[in-house]
Amino acid sequence: MAMKEIEDFMAQFNASIALDESRIVRNRNRYYLLSKKLKQQVPKGFFYVGSYLGAVKGASFFPSFLLLTMIAETKANKLVVDKKTAWLFICGRDIFKKGILKGSNLKKGDYTLILNERNECLGFGKTTCNLREETDANKVAVKNILDIGDFLRREKRQSKRQQRSRTLQSSRNMPRKPTRK
Amino acid sequence: MKPKQAIRINTMNASRDDVVSRLQSLGIALEKIPFLEDGYWICKSKFSVGATAEYLLGLYSIQEAAAQIPATLFTKLEDKTVLDACASPGGKTVQLADIMNNSGVIVAPELKKRKMFALANQLERSRVTNTAVYQMDAREASKMSMKFDCVLLDVPCSGNYVTDRGWFNKRSFKDVERNAGRQRQILAEAVEVTKDDGELVYATCSLEPEENELNIDWAIANLNVEVEEISCHGEKGLTNVFGRELDRSIEKCRRIWPGQTQGFFVCKLRRQA
Repeated sequence: MAMKEIEDFMAQFNASIALDESRIVRNRNRYYLLSKKLKQQVPKGFFYVGSYLGAVKGASFFPSFLLLTMIAETKANKLVVDKKTAWLFICGRDIFKKGILKGSNLKKGDYTLILNERNECLGFGKTTCNLREETDANKVAVKNILDIGDFLRREKRQSKRQQRSRTLQSSRNMPRKPTRK
Repeated sequence: MKPKQAIRINTMNASRDDVVSRLQSLGIALEKIPFLEDGYWICKSKFSVGATAEYLLGLYSIQEAAAQIPATLFTKLEDKTVLDACASPGGKTVQLADIMNNSGVIVAPELKKRKMFALANQLERSRVTNTAVYQMDAREASKMSMKFDCVLLDVPCSGNYVTDRGWFNKRSFKDVERNAGRQRQILAEAVEVTKDDGELVYATCSLEPEENELNIDWAIANLNVEVEEISCHGEKGLTNVFGRELDRSIEKCRRIWPGQTQGFFVCKLRRQA
């Protein structure tokens, strides 16, 4: 089952990686790929282990950046973007046609990995037009779905959550006003 | 006193020279830390070094200079089974994985759940693939029924009032004693799960003798360990504390006085067969 979700996700990029299913483990909704040594040695009950592949939420699969990097090493849908576009993409922005340096064969609705000029994977998105036919350089060509800036956003979300729970905790500890009857 | 901000290049993901030139091209002025192979001080940066593409790609970690020392003290780490007791926030765990080139196994217990999310985030960002994280008290490590070649003990400590302005508002000397007791419990459990002839590195960011030399003296007397010679930045450990003469081998430990780095204590132990 785990393989199917991951394989389906990879297929969206026209990619396929031969992952050893016996080394994939599931913990709640998260999938991990274990090395031989990890598989042999570590006991169950972990919170995180090996290479995190992604999580299933409802019907959707949310990939990890490790999985995206693995896909980027294969023949998959990829777009190489210029420096400025790469930075804007990390900041959560969509990609304009003019920012694409390499890989213009994609059609509208295709999923594609976004790479910087050094071929490092920055995330992925979905094309909003046929890249070869699109003539307007200032039109959004790829919608941002996930980018590495997410690491910072997660931290922010996490600290906000902690702050909220601390506030809640302290308000619970505060003496309550007597209610009028 | 505020220690200089430092970074460590993750050489498993990129070469040192490449990362340095990329950061310099962003306008970040770096200075090589003389006592570390992969460490650099940030001399000038107009923006946070935690918000660059290079950081998000896991090419370097932000890690205080003295805190980069303990993981480098093990004799050989590749393909070993390593315990990183008290792993959060994961700076040293990533460093261990980096030195091991993602080989072998690292087991990283962390007691607090909220800290585990940050640890997992750090591991994914740095592309660490050889680590297992558990929500567990390091004092219960033997429950895993595993034996380790190397154990890194970056134990929870009282910190230091020289670099922490609010130290006296947060802690008292009673806390130092309580922490010292807890550290001994962790130390004893760590020795229990270390293989014969295995190595343990004990580190704190405190300069209180109770949490450092006195704990090591106690370990020599009560646990099956001996202090190993290390060659790293810092001064000799104290062998006379509060008028008490300690085991002479404790001078092999290292005390790092706060200045360019935070205050730090580090020591390498070997479990005797």
